[in-house]
Amino acid sequence: MGSRQITEKALTMLRSLPRVSLGNIRDNPGYKKNPKRGRGQHGGDKHGAGNKGSGQRQNYMRLGYETGNNPFYLRMPHEHYYKGHHLRRQYPPFSLHELQLIIDKDRLDISKPIDIASIVKSGMYNFTPDEKHFGINLTDVGADCFAAKINIEVQWASEQVIAAIEKMGGVITTAYYDPHSLYLLRDPKKFFESGQSIPRRMIPPPDAIEYYTSAKSRGYLADPEEISKDRLRLAQKYGYELHVLEDDPNYEMLCERKDPRQIFYGLEPGWVINLKDQCILKPKDSELQRFFAS
Amino acid sequence: MTSILIKALKSIYISVPSQNAKFATSAICSNTLSITNKEWKYPPTFTKPREVWIENLDTIEEKKLGLFELHPTVYGATPRIDIIHRNVIWQRKYRWVSWAHTKTRAEVRGGGRKPWPQKGLGKARHGSIRSPLFRGGGVIHGPRAGNTHFFMLPFHLRLYGLTSTLSAKLAQDDLHVVKDLDIPSDNSEYLAELILSRNWGPSVLIVDDTDYAPRNITVATGNLPHVNLMPVYGLNVYSMLKHDTLILTQSAAEKIEDRILQLLHSDTRKQQAKFKLDQV
Repeated sequence: MGSRQITEKALTMLRSLPRVSLGNIRDNPGYKKNPKRGRGQHGGDKHGAGNKGSGQRQNYMRLGYETGNNPFYLRMPHEHYYKGHHLRRQYPPFSLHELQLIIDKDRLDISKPIDIASIVKSGMYNFTPDEKHFGINLTDVGADCFAAKINIEVQWASEQVIAAIEKMGGVITTAYYDPHSLYLLRDPKKFFESGQSIPRRMIPPPDAIEYYTSAKSRGYLADPEEISKDRLRLAQKYGYELHVLEDDPNYEMLCERKDPRQIFYGLEPGWVINLKDQCILKPKDSELQRFFAS
Repeated sequence: MTSILIKALKSIYISVPSQNAKFATSAICSNTLSITNKEWKYPPTFTKPREVWIENLDTIEEKKLGLFELHPTVYGATPRIDIIHRNVIWQRKYRWVSWAHTKTRAEVRGGGRKPWPQKGLGKARHGSIRSPLFRGGGVIHGPRAGNTHFFMLPFHLRLYGLTSTLSAKLAQDDLHVVKDLDIPSDNSEYLAELILSRNWGPSVLIVDDTDYAPRNITVATGNLPHVNLMPVYGLNVYSMLKHDTLILTQSAAEKIEDRILQLLHSDTRKQQAKFKLDQV
């Protein structure tokens, strides 16, 4: 709000001016638009709406309507690759550049595993599960300047992104969350305050099983052996030296993964988080335990 | 060459607040003066902290108990008069329900009968004696009772309203920091004399960080309608402007600073979101 000199000058001026009080304050000139419609020479005549037609009557045509012509958007044949677009899963993009930005701004703690909840909490990413958004698509924009060693879990990632993260000695997993779990991850506090027990994460739908069980996409259901083989393959393809995870001082953190049925790090399905009393209530009934066990 | 220039500029800038500090050490015997170096959670950048005296309330004549630093983002912000004004308008309006009421032609008593025949009299045609054209008739577009003027000022305008007002008050020497609210007697004359002798203007707003003020000051201010006590969470632009002088206790000043700084440096998307009636 203003440069330093202006602020200082204004405050110094105030010293020699009458006391700021209810009687001598005013708004900036021209802040408020006059709600009245001017007459005659004060903006009268057509009142700025032009002469005749829908402009004057301000009943504008709907978007795309061409007054009886075959409209542009109907003139083309169908584009079949868009068929069912409103039913498909969408992954709003989040780039490596933005990820690096929130890390540099200290809005993300990289000493812990990163998931969609921590990225949303940083304030740089948002998504709406009810618009068929199924989480983060980590894109390769800024892959060249990405320089953080992280354990990250996203919902979609390309080969370049996987390579960029593994080049820095980090770990990436792609994991599926059903919309209900995504609601919880988007605003965990709101869910905990509702007093419900944490549900189980659902398994991916049939058309997503392949992606999330594949080692190439670092799926969370893939065989760890296959993933470690593919890490080496990718390192050779992109020409970097693969960091040995076992020798890493942060080995524990880098190896932390969620259970396929787990939604929050450190919290298991079935638990109730009591924020008021700062305690966790765990199910004791054997039937409940069997239900929530994965 | 440039480094010399920069040094010169810096020395010019620093010389303004440091005069105060020199005056402090020379005028007051230093053994009783408390000067605290603050641990800033959000250190002031490019600007020096504002320095204020910590004063006392337990004697009529002013004693300076120490020096205290205030954060320039809160107490030395640009005094935006327009934002202060919008805050005042908001505070006046959000609780205002206007009960002004006029009757329409349907509500005014009578007027059901056609006053005279449509044709044949040479008079203008009328269907009701309560038509808006008639004396004693209904009112068109008049005020209707129960009209609320509630609206919510954007979150940061509320925040900057507070910083602007606090800064203006401090710049005009209308903000004083006292150590605590302990006064020796519960006599309101004592307080009135103290305010008169210190030239604090007739009306004074005293802000403490707790809900419970000491008994003496509560009793003493009870008889003085122009001296008011307020907890720190009640601090608002309108009250600050309504009173000539604002007295903050040291803890209240710190609490205001912490709270505003914390809000200025955190994610406030929730507070910035559109106000919903069921959110409180």
